Amino acid sequence: MRLREDMTPYRRRAGLLFLGVFAALVIILLRLFSMGVLHGSSWRKMAENNRLRTVPLEARRGRVYDRNGAILAENRPSFQLLVFPDEMQEPGRTCLFLARAGFGSAADLERLFRSRIGRSMAPRIIADDLSWSQVLKIRSHQSDHPELAILVGARRHYPFGKLAAHAVGYLRRISRSELASHPGLDPNALVGASGVEQLQNGTLAGVSGERKIVVSAIGQQLGVVSEKPPIAGRDLTLTLDMRLQNVAAKALGSRQGAVVALDPRTGAIRVLYSSPAFDPNVFTGHLTSSQWKTLSEDPSHPLQDRAIQGVYPPGSTIKPFYALEALDEGVATPGWTIHCSGSTVLFGHTFHCWRRSGHGVVSMVRSLEVSCDIYYYHLGVNLGIDRMAAWLGRFGFGRATGSRLPGEQPGLVGTPAWVERVRHHRWYPGTTVSVAIGQGPILVTPLQLTRAYAALANGGRLVVPHLVEGSGPDRSTPLGIPPEDLDIIRRGLTAVVHGSEGTARRFKDLPMAGKTGTAQVAHLKEGSRGKDIPWKLRHHALFVGWAPLGHPRIVVGVVVEHGGEGASAAAPVVAAVIRAALGEGPSPVEAAPAAGNTAPRSVGAARSP
Amino acid sequence: MLASLGRVMGSHLLGRQLLWGVLGIVVLWLVSRFSSVVLYRLAPIAYGAALALLVAVLIVGNVRSGTRGWFVLGPVSFQPSEIARLATALMIAAWYAGRKDMRFTAGSVAVLVFLIGLPVGLILLEPDLGVALTYLPIALAALWIGGLPARAWVAIGVAGILLAGATWTWGLKPYQKDRILTVLEPARDPFGAGYQVRQSKIAIGSGMVMGQGLGRGSQSVLRFLPAQHTDFIFAAWAEATGFAGGSLLLAAYALLLWRISRTALVAKDRFGLVISTLIGAWLAFQILVNLSMVVGWLPTTGITLPLFSYGGSSLVTTCAALGVVSAVWRDRFVNV
Repeated sequence: MRLREDMTPYRRRAGLLFLGVFAALVIILLRLFSMGVLHGSSWRKMAENNRLRTVPLEARRGRVYDRNGAILAENRPSFQLLVFPDEMQEPGRTCLFLARAGFGSAADLERLFRSRIGRSMAPRIIADDLSWSQVLKIRSHQSDHPELAILVGARRHYPFGKLAAHAVGYLRRISRSELASHPGLDPNALVGASGVEQLQNGTLAGVSGERKIVVSAIGQQLGVVSEKPPIAGRDLTLTLDMRLQNVAAKALGSRQGAVVALDPRTGAIRVLYSSPAFDPNVFTGHLTSSQWKTLSEDPSHPLQDRAIQGVYPPGSTIKPFYALEALDEGVATPGWTIHCSGSTVLFGHTFHCWRRSGHGVVSMVRSLEVSCDIYYYHLGVNLGIDRMAAWLGRFGFGRATGSRLPGEQPGLVGTPAWVERVRHHRWYPGTTVSVAIGQGPILVTPLQLTRAYAALANGGRLVVPHLVEGSGPDRSTPLGIPPEDLDIIRRGLTAVVHGSEGTARRFKDLPMAGKTGTAQVAHLKEGSRGKDIPWKLRHHALFVGWAPLGHPRIVVGVVVEHGGEGASAAAPVVAAVIRAALGEGPSPVEAAPAAGNTAPRSVGAARSP
Repeated sequence: MLASLGRVMGSHLLGRQLLWGVLGIVVLWLVSRFSSVVLYRLAPIAYGAALALLVAVLIVGNVRSGTRGWFVLGPVSFQPSEIARLATALMIAAWYAGRKDMRFTAGSVAVLVFLIGLPVGLILLEPDLGVALTYLPIALAALWIGGLPARAWVAIGVAGILLAGATWTWGLKPYQKDRILTVLEPARDPFGAGYQVRQSKIAIGSGMVMGQGLGRGSQSVLRFLPAQHTDFIFAAWAEATGFAGGSLLLAAYALLLWRISRTALVAKDRFGLVISTLIGAWLAFQILVNLSMVVGWLPTTGITLPLFSYGGSSLVTTCAALGVVSAVWRDRFVNV
């Protein structure tokens, strides 16, 4: 080591080096100042979000009862799997773990994650109705998977299954587009997808709450910070009578079709059954895509509610309304007769009666009793299509009934104006002849048809069908039809069951009036009837009837698709429901309005066929 | 801080670190008793011994997280690469002191590169890239102090960029690349590679001005903050004590570096000046790199905060280095 060496350049360089170090320390200090002082509160909020989790608290959905208190929809406790997307580090690993815990294949789960979660950070329920072993598997690996949590929630259950599926409806998860348009909604919410569940969703759903909890980095729950309790939904009582619904379903059996029963005095729906039906319970759990495919692609369309969405040509069931119109407009009198020889020539075409041998001399009452087509061909020509269509409109045909049931179809009442607008051709006069016997451009839903018959039964008031008990004031409208005209029609419809030639005379032991209908699906060759016709081309069978004769308490309408003859296929179903309905004595609640409102003076006349 | 550290680390780790601390103070005091002449004479021996230990650890050392770099003696384990850093710094300072001419030639650079390259090469064989990286400030400071001409710095810069490019392409594992990309774009992967840095930044920021209180910071207590007694200890401290505590700690480091720089500038000889500067550069590098990492400016590398992070050999070596600086300071008026 040498003495007194010149160290100046070394000192200068060392000094510069340390100067650089201090400058860097100052920059770090500024960074700390910016983070802690200038932006501290936003970082503090992120720390809060780190340790605070918001867990949704489901609101109890209201129960649904039938009019006798039978439970149609209730809630059962169920374990749900909740995923916190912001805790999830590797979705792939989570999916693999869930696949091993028995939640389906990892690929399916990843697809589900993408569709249910997407880019959202809100916790999502991704599986429902977990088994004990699934719960245990997740609980025992909780520390490895802080993104998963088990929630005790409620699962919708429909004790009657298929029996009330269409009327009560089912639930579905809220869609992403609905969430996007209503950001305040709970992303885990279930909403009604059909039937009363959809119609009364606002009443049944309630308001979901939330709970803020403190968690550790491994997802351990340490305490509750705040809680907004959910508000339970309200219970609903329906007008439906499950006893009658059951009878209707049994009577219809495996055939496709629909049964509607109304209280003609109020419009309360007692039976709303569509066959084939589906089990709404499959929707409340975790519906797999294959289950959905099976349901939605079934050629018999089990998801369709035929009672309100199926449209059928009414066939002869439409005849009483034309007869009533003819009386009302003075086109015919009760004594006016025609001679039915089995066929007639109109507008250069030959039109046949369903009975090739003819009915002979036919008056109005007899025209209904034997369902003579020739009588109505002449009536239709004399009335003209415009007057007929307007008259049918008064009875609610061609538009929804006001039941507000989701998906209800308006049906169709064809007019020359409609034909020109939609089909772009002139109205053929022959079409009027078809419409006169309920064929051609006239389509009705079973609910519409039954409701129109309710107006015949209750003395001329068009009621609004409804499924929910006490749903507002009476919205029925009087049609202003003279009681003596109605009497004639009721006498004719009573003769259908109780007359010696009545098309439904095999049910004369019942105090029932009604009308058969057989609606053509395809034009069939001469003489081809019965079992040798392919099922798809067979006629639809219809029957609408009410009982008892004096003070009708129930109107039942039945359509059996491709069932053949109305009298043999549909009328027995109506008879079964009416028999069951009459078996029970009228309750005091029912009896009271019956005496006051619906006892027109002429009822006594209608009683004798 | 001790109490909160105790909660976080467990009293077992805390007691152990206190023991290391006592040992460190003893070492500091012992080393500061040497005169700088003795240190100068001891430098080649220490360097040789360090190289021998580095060779030995490759043969009989224990493997931890894929690195054969530890001697384990019962409950105590230590890393020879930490000691070797001080020995290398001493060797370089001694070489500077023994030089006859003042000019910095290509030959001098070669000698420096050789002196540093030897231990670094052995450490890379372990392989421990993180520790090898801590020799970088010593190498650069040694070249700087010798007065490397500007064009040579340009050459080093270009070589550094080329080396970085080559390392990126062939040398780094995907997780290492992720860490670097995360610095450039923090939102890139907030739950993977970016998770640690994100939690660290949240901890520092949420301390706000006065902190959440010792042992009360949610990030630390609820364990959102990773490696909070080693790499991310500053984040835990800043969360508990806020900007106030953070800047206080920063001031303490500044004071320490200020004392080291004073020592370098008033040293009576070249050996004292160079060794103080090298030790200052080494500590400053660790402090700045660690702090840049916890505030999200540099990728996570595993470089700890000297004197504060948990780790025995690091603490004792740092104390020994400060002992050397202290010895230089004591000798500043002595003429030998």
